[in-house]
Amino acid sequence: MNNGKLPLDGVRIIDLAQVFAGPACTRILADLGADVVRFEAAGRMDVTRNLIITENDGLDHHWHRASYFVIRNASKREMVLDLNKEEAREIMRKLIAGADVVVESFTPRVMANFGLGYDALKALKPDIIMCSLSGYGQDGSMRDYGAYGMGLEAASGISSITGYEDGPPMRSGLSFTDPYSGFVGAGAVLTALHYKRRTGKGQYIDLSEQEAAIPIMGAALLEYQMTGRVTERRGDRSEWAAPQGCYRCAGDDRWAVISCSDDGEFARMAGAMGHAEWLDDARFATVLARHDHHDELDAVITEWTSQRDHYVVMHALQKAGVKAAAVLDGKEILFDPQFKARGHFDIVDQPLLGKRPVQRHLAAKFGRFEAKARRPAPLLGQHNEEVLKEIGYTDTEIAKLKEDAIIADAPTLPVPAQFVSAALKLPYDRYLEHGILQAVEADYREQLGIAE
Amino acid sequence: MTDRALSDVRVVDISQGIAGPYATKLLADSGALVTKVEPPGGDYSRRLGPFPGDMPDPEKSGLYLHLNTSKRSVTLDVSVTSGQVVLKKMLANADVFVCGEKASTLQAWGLSYEDLKDDFPDLIVAQVSPFGATGPYADYDGNSLTAMAMSTIMYNTGNPDREPLVTGGEPGAYIAGVQLWIGILAALENRAANGGGDHVDLSMAEAAAAADEYNSAMYAFQGAIRRRFYSRHIFGYPNDIMACADGHVVVIPGANGFPSPLTPDSVSPMALLMEDIELDQTPFFKSMGERMIGWREFEASMQPYLSTHTALEIVMTAQALRLPFAFVPTPSDLLSDEHLAERAFFEKVETKAGPLTIPGQPFKMSETPLHASPAPDRGSANVAVLVDELGYEKGDLTILSDRGVL
Repeated sequence: MNNGKLPLDGVRIIDLAQVFAGPACTRILADLGADVVRFEAAGRMDVTRNLIITENDGLDHHWHRASYFVIRNASKREMVLDLNKEEAREIMRKLIAGADVVVESFTPRVMANFGLGYDALKALKPDIIMCSLSGYGQDGSMRDYGAYGMGLEAASGISSITGYEDGPPMRSGLSFTDPYSGFVGAGAVLTALHYKRRTGKGQYIDLSEQEAAIPIMGAALLEYQMTGRVTERRGDRSEWAAPQGCYRCAGDDRWAVISCSDDGEFARMAGAMGHAEWLDDARFATVLARHDHHDELDAVITEWTSQRDHYVVMHALQKAGVKAAAVLDGKEILFDPQFKARGHFDIVDQPLLGKRPVQRHLAAKFGRFEAKARRPAPLLGQHNEEVLKEIGYTDTEIAKLKEDAIIADAPTLPVPAQFVSAALKLPYDRYLEHGILQAVEADYREQLGIAE
Repeated sequence: MTDRALSDVRVVDISQGIAGPYATKLLADSGALVTKVEPPGGDYSRRLGPFPGDMPDPEKSGLYLHLNTSKRSVTLDVSVTSGQVVLKKMLANADVFVCGEKASTLQAWGLSYEDLKDDFPDLIVAQVSPFGATGPYADYDGNSLTAMAMSTIMYNTGNPDREPLVTGGEPGAYIAGVQLWIGILAALENRAANGGGDHVDLSMAEAAAAADEYNSAMYAFQGAIRRRFYSRHIFGYPNDIMACADGHVVVIPGANGFPSPLTPDSVSPMALLMEDIELDQTPFFKSMGERMIGWREFEASMQPYLSTHTALEIVMTAQALRLPFAFVPTPSDLLSDEHLAERAFFEKVETKAGPLTIPGQPFKMSETPLHASPAPDRGSANVAVLVDELGYEKGDLTILSDRGVL
């Protein structure tokens, strides 16, 4: 219906973001049609080019095989530019003069040190939108704190309400506030683009990952103010439902969640499990009784779930009108019929890696257009020439820039690449022994249907 | 009236709970005119609390007051024809219609995108549902917990010998709210650029899965399947929460915390922090894999330092050594946090529950700062919307009210 057009066609974004939050933000904008050009430095690659290397023989260019990088950076173009050099900053200024949005995720002083603070950008392009993503924001006493995603979930307070009952605070097993704050950044940029479309004015966006996630603490922050209580850790349970929990199913480490909000849903669950007598059991018959006897209720539910596959539990309960879901691992989600039917993973033909399912960072589906991975993630410096020619550089000038190491298409490594690759290899065989990994399947590409 | 980022956007929102209302809060705090359409009994979040002194009162629910700032409220039973007719009059003046119902429910009410698109060709119908409007699970029910279960995040959170653990604070619902908000803004941009309304179809399960970090990728690129291992990060131990003298800290050595083969002669920042330079010679300091596998012994080696220092001492010293350690604040810690106060993060609102400090805006905009005005009382805009805008007689309101429609 859109004739192949995307909402952000013609929007040019300069992407100086690294690692996770910023790249997730610009991946969404790129999937929506924006021309996103990202930047790295030869002496300082995006660190994600070093993570989760695919089928590396230890000799090859690991920076082109990093899965983490591929997912965050599909749909984008890339230049490698040494911004410590004035010629590079001159190129950057020309690009910004033709851009709509600049996204960056350096610590607060870095852009100003490059002469690329918001005021400088505005002088180059009066209606520029600049979005800075950082751990703790652009001002305040912690602005210069080093910030990794694994710390920011805790810093937002969420870890204090995550954990088993009577156990210590826990983090999620991955840094979800990183992509989450990237999502918030994408919405912030879209809000600014809307305003610019109407008024012609740009603006500056200061996004702190810590602050972006604090609204998730809304109920806990108000509970403290309204009752004086500090929200307790309660495993998978909730004040809003009983039973609610994560129940063991048949098989090795298989689980399903179940949540019953009211008497009706509990009756449907009891019926589906063939235990209508629970409705007459004083321990379970009412909401208050179920909260009081939750452990006993969990025990009898587990008798039923532990005899069945987690998907069987999910479908049987859902068909009876009960909220339930299988707890999926990283393999199962790739084969799940619902995720497959709706296209959460796009098959991207990535140079050196072949076809791979690449997850989306924008889950919304639209009727008029499809916001998906439009092209593979860029190789290091892949679009140096293409982008330079667009702003009028000649072949001779480009050759000179390369000779002067203003642009590059390979990293400057302090030691040979093989050495770095070997150091980056995680000891998966030992992880398997210790249960950090559940399995490593050699035939995974055949199973996924992406074998060459 | 000052110009706001979304002053020109009008939204009608029948969603309840967290996901849809958080999306429309972000629009409303940016200046959109959001008319919240509640069932006559009110949004169910009004019953969820927390409440002052644990006394339930639909005008004093903390969750409701947090999620519905800057909106106006109309009561209407949209499950009956009389309510649907009023709603459709409201949609004639709207850019966006937000709903939190499954596809089958919306179809039964005649309020699905297919039902509306001919009468309202420029309307954006934004629908958030547990599994999405299409596909084999379209009719399934769910909440934040089911979304986190499907996302793979939950399978990888918790202790290896216990059940998977859901992250606190209903993050599946908030992630869905943020994703729906992005979807609405993208559809508005598309309408401005290419014309036409649209259906924005958001699955809570897919939204949570969009925040997955490596789980599916590790299989898609390496054939490896992760499982939960305390709350540790796959990229090595620690990067985790540890107890200290007065609470907890997140111990994150970062890229340069441990001895590097590139700088063999210098003392590592982690050894400096723990005031024991001999630690650099231990296998745990030399190899991430050894730390991950031998974590019990490694943890024991850190205990003498951690158990005798406060969180403040540890994090300040670590940050001075360029180690990106972090605090583990509780809700009360956040409310008295100096850094957040310096950034004027929290907002104060006057409510029926008294003055409250609510979470501030998730980002700051220089030209069009977001701002929260207090959440509305139930049905407080009934007259303004039905009589002043839609032209109903005041007597009609009484008729609708006594039939339970309003």
